[in-house]
Amino acid sequence: MKALEADIEVEQGAFSLRARFSAPAKGITVLFGPSGSGKTTLLSVLAGLKRPDRGIVTLGADSIGDLPPHRRGLGLVFQDARLFPHLTVRQNIAYAAHRAPQAGLQVEEVARFFDIVPLLDRPTGNLSGGEKSRVALARALASRPDFLLLDEPFAALDGIRRRAFIATLLDLHKVHQLPMLVVTHNIDDAAALGSHLVALQAGVVVAAGDFATASRQAAFQSLLDERDTGAAIAADRLLVADNRRGAIWLRADQVLLASEAPHGLSARNVLAGQVTALRPENDQSVLVELAAPVGHLFSRVTPQAARELALAPGRPVWAIAKAHLL
Amino acid sequence: MLSGEEAQILATSLWVAVNAVLWSLPFAVAMAFALSRRFPGKLALEGVTHLPIILPPVLVGFVLLMLFGQRGPIGSVLAGAGIHLAFTAKGAALATAVMIFPVFVRSIRLAFEATDRNLFEAAAVLRAGPMDRFVSIALPLAGPGILAGMVMAFATALGEFGAVITFAANIPGQTQTLPLAIYAVLQQPGGEAEAMRLAVLSFILAMLGLAAAALLQRWAVRRLAG
Repeated sequence: MKALEADIEVEQGAFSLRARFSAPAKGITVLFGPSGSGKTTLLSVLAGLKRPDRGIVTLGADSIGDLPPHRRGLGLVFQDARLFPHLTVRQNIAYAAHRAPQAGLQVEEVARFFDIVPLLDRPTGNLSGGEKSRVALARALASRPDFLLLDEPFAALDGIRRRAFIATLLDLHKVHQLPMLVVTHNIDDAAALGSHLVALQAGVVVAAGDFATASRQAAFQSLLDERDTGAAIAADRLLVADNRRGAIWLRADQVLLASEAPHGLSARNVLAGQVTALRPENDQSVLVELAAPVGHLFSRVTPQAARELALAPGRPVWAIAKAHLL
Repeated sequence: MLSGEEAQILATSLWVAVNAVLWSLPFAVAMAFALSRRFPGKLALEGVTHLPIILPPVLVGFVLLMLFGQRGPIGSVLAGAGIHLAFTAKGAALATAVMIFPVFVRSIRLAFEATDRNLFEAAAVLRAGPMDRFVSIALPLAGPGILAGMVMAFATALGEFGAVITFAANIPGQTQTLPLAIYAVLQQPGGEAEAMRLAVLSFILAMLGLAAAALLQRWAVRRLAG
């Protein structure tokens, strides 16, 4: 297992990318940023498909910045799958397996893992979006990369399929010990997958580090839609209405506060904690930051509520979240 | 149906056209692939490739004679190796190959340009090097287009006249192809009937070529649509 580190500069007309970050060998790193922040450009540079103006890319102890893409040992799953149209699903996966540095993964084995065995002898043209994504992922795994880059591979998927794909990614990481860098601009996907975070804005890294900690920083929260202000809480620390893995992005707008231990509530998540900071946002709202045993979280309340509950740093409070709202 | 002489003419025509297409195929594929990419000097190379279309065919034949004739710089070397091109069937194939080259390159190039560049990136991150990508992705995807180009080139080859007669002359049984034979019989009084028979034969061959090209094109479209 190897860590991926980069220090890259790209000038592209009016856009410039100056990114310096590292993605650890253990865990899934989420590369987060609004569209136009340079995420895809950054992936292209890492994979060697685009030449930076200046830059260093290292994988483990090796400097790979000057190597052509086929020698870097990095896998890349594109947003649009890019399956080879003249090959069947089986041949697409075999294409990668034949070129893998060490043998070991059989096409059938990979197909079973991604639940695409019935598709193996189909042409790629008439697969659904979800099927294409899984085949692309299977193909990338079959080439035995040292590090896997994924460019919003679930952008084309919705709801249940998206969750299923995220679960597959988590399994893939766990079973094959494959470090990943996943690009997304969806905060729920980011929280579900990420153990580490690299946040890009206008070509610059604005927050990086352990996901829960880095995502709490104001620089990161400012990238989000106001209604998405929140914090990542491990899914197994909360009670939610469905089976979700990874972490849940608990939005400030989903959290009620009580100044006393509530009882007789239907809400399943009642978390005792302490106010750590108050941030007045405008006339209508105050953002309250709390420390609880499950981690830090936010709640957005009105100024009146903040006064009536006498919210202030150090004040013990109970945060409440409905299972079905999460 | 066909007289012995006519069969001989048809055989010469087919031999010349088939050889012209097969021998120029690797060069046409390489040139077409090069021209489907971006590189400095591309425009100049494109110009050179199109020369046989722009120049009078007789001039092309004359240039070939200068280069590949017994005393030409290339011809004298080949003669040392026992290969004679001027005034032979092989020479007719060479002159034909040069003349069809622009058409050949153009149709293959269209096939290369129609393939999705993104697939090369996808292959590259699956550890396929440049040559590997050419063989495993570019060629198979352009395959139907290359086949269609071969058929078009073959049909064009059957009609070559000026360069062939200049470089290979009009020798019955050796370099006399269909158009050359038509020309020869028209030189004789009362040759119109024979010329008409040969013309019909040419027409049938050309039509078969076009039909084959159209079928291949349809197959190519179906295949690329998945």
